[in-house]
Amino acid sequence: MAINSKKLDEILDLYPSKVKRNRKNHIVVRDTTTVQEIEANTRTVPGIITNRGCAFAGCKGVVLGPLKDMIHIVHGPIGCGYYAWATRRNKAQSDDPKNNYISYCFSTDMQESDIVFGGEKKLAKVIDEVVEIFHPKAITISATCPVGLIGDDLNAVAKAAEAKHLIKILSFNCEGYKGVSQSAGHHIANNGLVEHVIGSGDMEEASGKYPINLLGEYNIGGDGWEIARVLKDIGYDIISVMTGDGSYEELKNAHVSDLNLVQCHRSINYIAEMLETKYGTPWLKVNFIGVQSTIESLRNMALYFGDQDLINKTEEVIAREIAVVESVIDQYRMICQGKTAFCFVGGSRGHHYQGLFAELGIETILAGYEFAHRDDYEGRDVLPHIKTDADSKNIPDLKVTQDEQRFRLKLSPERAEELKEKIPLSQYKGLIQDMKDGTIMVDDLNHFETEEFIKILKPDIFASGVKDKYVIQKMGIPSKQLHSYDYSGPYAGFRGAMKFAEDVANSFISPTWNFITPPWKNEPLLEGKIEEGK
Amino acid sequence: MKKDKTGYRNVSENPCNMCMPLGGILALKGIEGSMVLLHGSQGCATYMRRTISEHYNEPIDVASTSLNEKGTVFGGEDNFKKGLDNIRLVYQPEIIGVLTTCLAETIGEDIERMAKEYIKDREIEGFPIISAPTPGYAGTQAEGYFSTLRKIIMGLAKETKKNKKINVIVPHISTADLREIKRILASMDIEAILLPDYSDTLDAPYTKTYERIVSGGTKVQDIASMSGSQATIEMAEAIDDVISPGAFLKQEYGVPLYRIPLPVGLKNTDIFINTLKQITGSVIPLDLSAERGRLLDGMIDSHKHNFQGIAAIFGEPEHVLSAVTLCMENGIFPQVIATGSKTHRLEDLLYESLAESEQDYHIMNDTDFSHIREKCKNSGVNIAIGHSEGKYLTEKEGIPLVRYGFPIHDRIGGQRLLSVGYTGSLSFLDRITNTLLDHKYINYRSTMLQKYYDTRS
Ligand code: SF4
Ligand code: SF4
Repeated sequence: MAINSKKLDEILDLYPSKVKRNRKNHIVVRDTTTVQEIEANTRTVPGIITNRGCAFAGCKGVVLGPLKDMIHIVHGPIGCGYYAWATRRNKAQSDDPKNNYISYCFSTDMQESDIVFGGEKKLAKVIDEVVEIFHPKAITISATCPVGLIGDDLNAVAKAAEAKHLIKILSFNCEGYKGVSQSAGHHIANNGLVEHVIGSGDMEEASGKYPINLLGEYNIGGDGWEIARVLKDIGYDIISVMTGDGSYEELKNAHVSDLNLVQCHRSINYIAEMLETKYGTPWLKVNFIGVQSTIESLRNMALYFGDQDLINKTEEVIAREIAVVESVIDQYRMICQGKTAFCFVGGSRGHHYQGLFAELGIETILAGYEFAHRDDYEGRDVLPHIKTDADSKNIPDLKVTQDEQRFRLKLSPERAEELKEKIPLSQYKGLIQDMKDGTIMVDDLNHFETEEFIKILKPDIFASGVKDKYVIQKMGIPSKQLHSYDYSGPYAGFRGAMKFAEDVANSFISPTWNFITPPWKNEPLLEGKIEEGK
Repeated sequence: MKKDKTGYRNVSENPCNMCMPLGGILALKGIEGSMVLLHGSQGCATYMRRTISEHYNEPIDVASTSLNEKGTVFGGEDNFKKGLDNIRLVYQPEIIGVLTTCLAETIGEDIERMAKEYIKDREIEGFPIISAPTPGYAGTQAEGYFSTLRKIIMGLAKETKKNKKINVIVPHISTADLREIKRILASMDIEAILLPDYSDTLDAPYTKTYERIVSGGTKVQDIASMSGSQATIEMAEAIDDVISPGAFLKQEYGVPLYRIPLPVGLKNTDIFINTLKQITGSVIPLDLSAERGRLLDGMIDSHKHNFQGIAAIFGEPEHVLSAVTLCMENGIFPQVIATGSKTHRLEDLLYESLAESEQDYHIMNDTDFSHIREKCKNSGVNIAIGHSEGKYLTEKEGIPLVRYGFPIHDRIGGQRLLSVGYTGSLSFLDRITNTLLDHKYINYRSTMLQKYYDTRS
């Protein structure tokens, strides 16, 4: 049964009227005949169980954490550090295992006395200790809530330690109360990396042909490795990945690339934009989730470079991969065909996975993001129309200017315009373009709404995270975790698509479900009709 | 013997513990019809929900007042009230527990006052709102758990008629352990109030209809009557009196307190059963005696394997104490004993039993895994017993891990491992013995080769 606005009102009527008004703006029933708006990146309603995290999670957990050759110190009480410890499944390998700190958690473990008297001294000692024990090349310090409140000056401690140890030490004021979600933390991390890391290397030119950076790919379950496999086969020189399996050493020279690929727009678009201003490197929105999206992304990249050899090689690799993938997907499609999905993930996957679901014959009937902004829903054209509120003003934009020496226009303005007609160059059209009539877009979906939407729309599978996984499964529906992949993956690229197809199909045919009938399976569909007649 | 404490370092490298409010959430999840509101910024709530979910494989609904920058300046009372309003309307709980995070504590929020005013303001006299300050920087989840339990009793207990019931207060144990304790109590015909009881709420059976607040848990009116019980048994030896729920009931209502170890191992289970017998005069049923005999029989059967074990044991204090006892009863030497909590009780309690030991051992409190690993290195430790974070010892030092305690997020079923009582102890012991055997057989060939043939090196 589809949802109409009356039905939607019925759900929302359970809220206090103020909450109802608020939430209504975050939910859109898609009507492709009109231009629709959604409210996003605004404060969460207190007491409504959200899936959102904090700025610290976005900064340390998402963006910085995967950088394997840096030691990431959490300055704060133990909890925040513990909970952000190796929980995102971003994999990392290193030629120099001694310099890979991905499995570690470092915290200043602030105590009551530190809260009262300040934690700067302890932080300085912690830096001394980790330098002495591990000799890292670089260190990051991320602040958690109490730090900002007691006024510790992270930057000063970092500067002093930098002078003492002669290594790079970056500080991030990503206290959890900043902004309204993880998103604030992405921005803070993006600023710091552009200001202090990217461009600090002395490489002037890439050694290989077609040098690129891959932005917003976090190598969950090995996604980045699968993407890199294909890109390398085609002949790209991957200078850096931000930040899955990424490293400080690579990042320093990211300025030499000719193109920045943006996978997760939400978490990293700031870097993409700043690099364009600073070095003249355009960015291309890619999506390596799903076979067709991967192919399209590869073709767009080849078109950007416009080199016939590269275009030929791209087609060759695509043909080679298709030959393997197609029959496998076909086989799983027979199981999945005609089913429906909810797809609610952080800031980009709610969109990215729809194509892959479609390839399996699964229609996405509800989608949304935990912490995205309006441009991730409505496309970047909406950017000039977004009003900045008090919360977003708290995260200052970093002003970058052209780098006198290194700025190089990679494309003539005419060529750029021409390309923009064909490929999403410095452009993202958002989730809304793929939402069909009658489907639903929800921002910051909460537990209450999750249940209500399941009861009405009865999806066959719900792609989400661990916090709602067990609500979904208790309602008799398979869940697919798209944050951690349920310890599976990779799901990106060609081989990833096969793995995803296998995992999803298996979750449908597991004999376990034979013992379970969700209540509505036996219910006559009368309910809807009676409603109409009222 | 040698006792050795860890050197002091500032950095916590790979922590062994979490923070206070997480324990508070667990305590509240064991109360019937309860919802939890975390006062602070929402990140903490999200992180804790995920951590608990991964252990229990259940939805963990915890709301947050979602304070942001404005709240840190002007205080969070507005969000606090809105949060309570929304929870009451959407979830209709019978009781709400409010916990604080570091943020709320740092800006000095007085949740007790705020809760009182809220109740007056909304004219809901009698609606129970329990406020428990749990600043993350002030302790681990173990302290947060007990201090919240104490607050729950403080908030609910009333002067009542004396009755024959027994209060049984447990540390954070598995849901199977909770059920086992209830079974033992029932088998001895003892009416007890078990606090907390999350055996259903955090391990709910699949049912046709999904309930937003899962049924089960200790009833509010039962908690209210704990003040009239004939005795309290508190399975917590390492906690301070100031956070002890049992100590409160004793001070305030004169309920006699029996503080005993978690009934893991033969001796500790005997203590539990005998304490029950002593208080109530109940007879020990034949079935229970048979279980005891079976445990003893099993211990004899596996003793040859066990005496080869040298263990590193870590986790919350009560878990550590119980595992140490079980090991010592079975000839497994607990060489490294560690907790992330700050407690000197652990040392005092263990000192006696370990005093006669010939071997070196280390007791560490307020410690982390880098220190634990340090002590395990080249020390002959061949088995680790504790929560999932100990996988680090397996990865780095090749020491196999028997999962026990919280969190167990890298295996299925950690929330329902049975380890208490005679039956539970035997299954816990079997898990340990079999891990020793597994490890031995995996390494058997290479060890033999090295020992007898590889004389070149
Ligand atoms: S240590 Fe404090 S701030 Fe960190 S998660 Fe725990 S309560 Fe929150
Ligand atoms: S204290 Fe702040 S930084 Fe730490 S988890 Fe909570 S919201 Fe995030």
